[in-house]
Amino acid sequence: MEAVEFDDILDDWFIESLKTYKDLHVYQLEHPTQVIEWTSEKTVCVTGYSLSKNEILELRLPLKLFADENKGLCAERDFKVAHGGFTDGPVRRLRHIPGTRCVVTNDGLSSDLQVWDLGGDDSDVIRRTGSIAGRRNVSERGSRIAARLSSPPQVLHGAQSSDVQLTELTSGRTLYKLETDSTDPLSFLQFVSDTVFLAGCCNGSVYVTDTRTSAAPQLSPPPASSGDSVLWWADASVGPHPSSCRVVRLSSSGQAVVSDLRSLGGGAVCQAQLDVQERCCNLDHIRVSWAPTLDDCISVSGFSGVVQIYNTCGWSMELQERQPLFQHRGHVVSSQQTDDSTPVFTTAHIWHPERPRTLLSAASDGSVHVWDWVDPEQSAAGSPIPRT
Amino acid sequence: NMPEINVTPLGAGQDVGRSCILVSIGGKNIMLDCGMHMGYNDDRRFPDFSYITQNGRLTDFLDCVIISHFHLDHCGALPYMSEMVGYDGPIYMTHPTKAICPILLEDFRKITVDKKGETNFFTSQMIKDCMKKVVPLNLHQTVQVDDELEIKAYYAGHVLGAAMVHIKVGSESVVYTVSVNKYAKSHISAWIDKCRPDILISESTYATTIRDSKRCRERDFLKKVHETIERGGKVLIPVFALGRAQELCILLETFWERMNLKAPIYFSTGLTEKANHYYKLFITWTNQKIRKTFVQRNMFEFKHIKAFDRSYADNPGPMVVFATPGMLHAGQSLQIFKKWAGNEKNMVIMPGYCVQGTIGHKILNGQRKLEMEGRATLDVKLQVEYMSFSAHADAKGIMQLIRMAEPRNMLLVHGEAVKMEFLKGKIEQEFSIDCYMPANGETATVTTNPSVPVDISLNLLKREMALGGPLPDPKKPRTMHGTLIMKENSLKLVSSEQALKELGLNEHQLRFTCRVQLQDPHSDPDTLHRIYTHLKSVLKGYTIQHLPDGTVMVESIVIKVSSSAEDTNAKVLLLSWSYQGGEYFFTALCIVKRLMYQ
Repeated sequence: MEAVEFDDILDDWFIESLKTYKDLHVYQLEHPTQVIEWTSEKTVCVTGYSLSKNEILELRLPLKLFADENKGLCAERDFKVAHGGFTDGPVRRLRHIPGTRCVVTNDGLSSDLQVWDLGGDDSDVIRRTGSIAGRRNVSERGSRIAARLSSPPQVLHGAQSSDVQLTELTSGRTLYKLETDSTDPLSFLQFVSDTVFLAGCCNGSVYVTDTRTSAAPQLSPPPASSGDSVLWWADASVGPHPSSCRVVRLSSSGQAVVSDLRSLGGGAVCQAQLDVQERCCNLDHIRVSWAPTLDDCISVSGFSGVVQIYNTCGWSMELQERQPLFQHRGHVVSSQQTDDSTPVFTTAHIWHPERPRTLLSAASDGSVHVWDWVDPEQSAAGSPIPRT
Repeated sequence: NMPEINVTPLGAGQDVGRSCILVSIGGKNIMLDCGMHMGYNDDRRFPDFSYITQNGRLTDFLDCVIISHFHLDHCGALPYMSEMVGYDGPIYMTHPTKAICPILLEDFRKITVDKKGETNFFTSQMIKDCMKKVVPLNLHQTVQVDDELEIKAYYAGHVLGAAMVHIKVGSESVVYTVSVNKYAKSHISAWIDKCRPDILISESTYATTIRDSKRCRERDFLKKVHETIERGGKVLIPVFALGRAQELCILLETFWERMNLKAPIYFSTGLTEKANHYYKLFITWTNQKIRKTFVQRNMFEFKHIKAFDRSYADNPGPMVVFATPGMLHAGQSLQIFKKWAGNEKNMVIMPGYCVQGTIGHKILNGQRKLEMEGRATLDVKLQVEYMSFSAHADAKGIMQLIRMAEPRNMLLVHGEAVKMEFLKGKIEQEFSIDCYMPANGETATVTTNPSVPVDISLNLLKREMALGGPLPDPKKPRTMHGTLIMKENSLKLVSSEQALKELGLNEHQLRFTCRVQLQDPHSDPDTLHRIYTHLKSVLKGYTIQHLPDGTVMVESIVIKVSSSAEDTNAKVLLLSWSYQGGEYFFTALCIVKRLMYQ
């Protein structure tokens, strides 16, 4: 494509972006990533998912994003590769173990995990230090991984609801096993407190488990929906108490259901039919996430090349169509993909833990964007207010 | 003793600055760049030339100096090196670099001496004397520095006049580049395919960065300008005549047109003249965008951008002004700054690095109160924005460069002590080449494997081909026999017979003999026949012949039988073989010995 033509297409969106984004950064990785994971306040990990060799990179975010008062004096807009390493196979999932310099990965093909040391100041190489066997050898979708701060460090993992276990990182000792009969593949695994975790299945059911008790986990059935072959993903908002935690479940047909953790089995708080504009058939990349500091906001990606933000405040029990509060179309507009047959699609996104409207998103063409969006309803009443 | 190329980055510094690399290749010593470190005020800002010689001039130790582009961290120490340390040999650089260097050096000198009051610094005359030693390079033109050393410059593009340099001595070569832009890359693949340099040397200061897109930087620039204009403020953009000014102008012009903005944009006339002059001179060096604009219309016949008059600075309302000099250290940009600094609605955008001692440097460090001439204080209330548009090669860029150039070895220079194990591993893994990262003052020795071209005679070639087997393949070396004749400056490989003939020598053959005594009462022919039959039965796979002249041949070993003079029942076996047949001798001897004990 001629450079001039390319510029023209970008023009409209870029001109608009002057008003619709406070900040916008566009990067191009050598290889696309399915993972963006915070490893510290200022660093994230990304890694490739091609079938052969891949790189794991720990990137330091540009200084400009952190300079608040003297932001203008900071010209630094680039990511810095702080540490890097090589993997022998694809990496589909990566989780940082809080309180350590370790990350745990899974290739999406088996249920085993690889353990890595990100390295310190003396070396910029990420090295593999070990592995943790999953309970089941072969797994279609690979294992989900979750972790929370603990001493000694532990990792929660599993490919199906029947093989979720909590493993001590260094010794490999199993500390807890989720005992269920069902073998539903997992699409979601998350701690909501030190001892309580949620294991969400692709069919939409969620197990609520307390590792302190030996009692059976609470099982919340899938939300009512039309369509049998619908798949579900979920995310839980973590508040000061587990009781204030809310769970959003998102289906492959774009139905979003919000429930309280307390009454997960009882019924939804509200729901909506999202305008996801599904373009791609491979649904491995669907992500739904609560905004960490904006009340009631969720973000959705993976259906196409767009990342959408929805405000759930004002949703009702009726399954109504809702429009997103904001859409990040950057990956579609500035796609570097030469193969027109497969449109670009988003592979991952995360929120900045403190800056209310800053997100990082990645797409199948290797692009990574960091964007701070402007709330179009800011002047209107009822706009999401940051919690802090 | 394998031939080798030595590369030593000189000086000991951190941050960006002080590029100066010494290369020893085929007995020649070349200095690549001679930069100044902008962060130091003492001798640490200069490269450490004591590595070349402890005292005295450098002329005898260097065959040439090559400067890649006009940035001060690549040429800032040149007058110091040539006039204060002492060097009278050639200094090579492209025409644009030659034109721009002295301007920057003089500006820099003025700031350092006048503003900072330094004394041990090069003078204006030294800059002039230094530039007299410069030999300008044209692109793609081979320059013979001497009988053996040749250099050639190629378009690199990261600033006006920037060049990649190809250095060749005999069959060894080195390519040096600071950074390469997209336009240059398409040019590079054309010539770089033909020679795989022994070493590709590149800076790697930004090798571990992943750059934010150019578009986002431009967006930020437009956003800041627009916000200021919308609130009625004025934007000052101090620029160097040949920096980003032209590109930023084109950007603003397009934006103004698109948004239908009315606020005036001014460009100071001094800038216009200089820029016009240089762009006309170096039109082949500018990038596509600028050339397109220049060709379509005169550089500064923009619709929205007009020539500046200093009285305009007092006009009310929003405006944008581009003015020199770039670091706010004197002249028009400083005048305007003084007028506008007190209003918080206004903005100053610094598009580049500012040297210590300048106002630009001070405000970029957050200083809000400035001491001006006559003890007057200036309150800096306007918004200060630092924007970087510089084009440095990032992680991806370096990999692409290596992919295209296909060097046999990679060498990265960055001056920091920070380890880059990951990048080194990445390069070594992907390209299966060694990656060197010498620290300042450390020498990297790269062993080369220079190819020596040799002519081969047609007869010899035909003979080798006739032997069968796979065709000659550079990836699968095969041994062959021949004689190497070195005559004058040529090398020729011929068959041994032809060599002897050419030298007028006779071929001699070496034959060895051995006598073996054997008890055997039979007649000579009978004994011979028995030996023949026996050997034939035990030595399978060998060519054994009973010849009519009364000998037995095992391959090329000849066996004769004669009666012993002393003992009528004894026979003497005479075995003889030529040098090549020796390996069979021991086999034959063993067999014959067995015959003896029968």
